[in-house]
Amino acid sequence: MQRVIEKRGIPTVSVSVALDVTLHIKPPRAVFLPFMMGHLFGVPFHKNLQREIILTALSRIEQAKQSGDVYFFPKTWAQARKEGKEVESNLEAAD
Amino acid sequence: MEKSNEEKQLRPGLWATVNERYPGSMITKTDFIPLAKLIKPLAESRLSFVSTSGVQLRGTLPFDTAHPIGDYTFRAVPSNSKTSDLEIHQLKYPTAGAERDLNVIYPIERMQELAAEKIIGELAPNFYSFIGYNMDAERLERTLAETIADAVEAEKPDVVLLAPA
Repeated sequence: MQRVIEKRGIPTVSVSVALDVTLHIKPPRAVFLPFMMGHLFGVPFHKNLQREIILTALSRIEQAKQSGDVYFFPKTWAQARKEGKEVESNLEAAD
Repeated sequence: MEKSNEEKQLRPGLWATVNERYPGSMITKTDFIPLAKLIKPLAESRLSFVSTSGVQLRGTLPFDTAHPIGDYTFRAVPSNSKTSDLEIHQLKYPTAGAERDLNVIYPIERMQELAAEKIIGELAPNFYSFIGYNMDAERLERTLAETIADAVEAEKPDVVLLAPA
């Protein structure tokens, strides 16, 4: 899918939680996150993380130098979940 | 795959596991697609989004999540949709997070905010969604991928973000 769009001259980037699948498929640019499937953009209500993942992916459009580029997002799933819990407890406190 | 990479993935061995059970269903490419160039800054670029999450507008025909070889259709989702107008029809990934906040799999609100702040120029009129459970990889590439690419390209995006759930 991504390769088909890139072939048409439109720059693309994907986010992935399955590094092995990404390495087999060879998309032009990808960001790998060591997160749970179905949670490509992080954890509930953690807007900053969701936004950071989108912006990191889009930055690869400008920064990737060769096709097949895979950028490793520098955060573990455990860190994302911990931050998510903090965000949620702050939201509850604000209610 | 190098062991170091194997260890980085939360659920390792996905490609091999699925391909063992459904031979030929997983795609392998040996070549790389030449990089297309961004022709204007992101702040002036139109963004499109393609997702395998099975997210769709409430009231549209639900994806056939029970079909043994998958559903080879897609849905256009207006990029100005509210998350309360959307629902998920997909069985093949954990939706624990998405049920509480759809943005973890389909970050439509974050993209709307980035466009409103002009960090991204604008959003394409529609985003596109299908389900990742498609067992006939050749059919997927020959039909669905090309059809979605036609729909995406017609809206003249400068950049496309893809999210294989």
